[in-house]
Amino acid sequence: MTRFKELDPILHSQLRLAIVSLLIGVDVAEFTYIREQTGATAGNLSIQITKLKEAGYIEVTKKFRNNYPQTLCKITSLGILRFSEYITDLKDYLNPGIPGK
Amino acid sequence: MENEEKMMSGEESLRIITEMINRTKVNIRQGSFHLLFWGWLIFACSMSEYLLWKFSDFTHPYYVWFFVIPGVIVSMVYGFTTGRKAKVSTYGDMLYMWTWIGFLIAATVLFIVHSKSMQTVASYILLLAGFPTFVSGFIINFRPLIIGGITFWILAIIIHFAGPSVAPLGVPVAMLTGYLIPGYMLKYKVDHDKV
Repeated sequence: MTRFKELDPILHSQLRLAIVSLLIGVDVAEFTYIREQTGATAGNLSIQITKLKEAGYIEVTKKFRNNYPQTLCKITSLGILRFSEYITDLKDYLNPGIPGK
Repeated sequence: MENEEKMMSGEESLRIITEMINRTKVNIRQGSFHLLFWGWLIFACSMSEYLLWKFSDFTHPYYVWFFVIPGVIVSMVYGFTTGRKAKVSTYGDMLYMWTWIGFLIAATVLFIVHSKSMQTVASYILLLAGFPTFVSGFIINFRPLIIGGITFWILAIIIHFAGPSVAPLGVPVAMLTGYLIPGYMLKYKVDHDKV
């Protein structure tokens, strides 16, 4: 597993990668939607969302809808950049000897 | 995905990325409502206008088009309430919504600037309506809607060159080919595929 040390450690985790991959294709997503799509528990998801938020990869907005709290997540431009770099690094790994392919 | 720090192979990373991106498709559930609602409303208005013009002494058959105003309100309220309930908003959803709002604005401008020659407005409306229909078909990857948009343009040409006895039937036919048939096919797809 040491060969992956160059990959972004924030993204190179199952759940965080799943969250960012979901958010890359949407404008904004609710916490419950992300939980349904990833199959993660609320507690675990909450921890990973906080890590991504602290790294500046996503924005988290808390609102109220019909008196119920609503947590909305949106990927930031830094998150898009890091995800794009992660994909490039992943391609390098999967196609050794062809950098950037 | 419980073990959040579990290391992954490259293939596993790729699988997660692909799986998650594939889950963020455009929500097409709303689409069939608007197609069927507008399809039937415009079909009813255009047929009523034609029948009043052909078989009655009513001097202002185009008054039936005032039903479009409450139609816009119903459509906006439905879109707003459904949008608020949605747990996710994709870029495709946004593109779909703004394409149709753009059409609504363009159609309103057309009615204002063309109000003195309403008898020729049908071909221009179909020309305009073909665009969001055609583009929406590509956004949701639904071929019947793409074909529906093309039929609008074909009918716009036919209406323009056809005689006054044929032209008024162009809009109801366009509603069948452009909205109602694709709308029911989309509804069937949503109900059966559970998308």
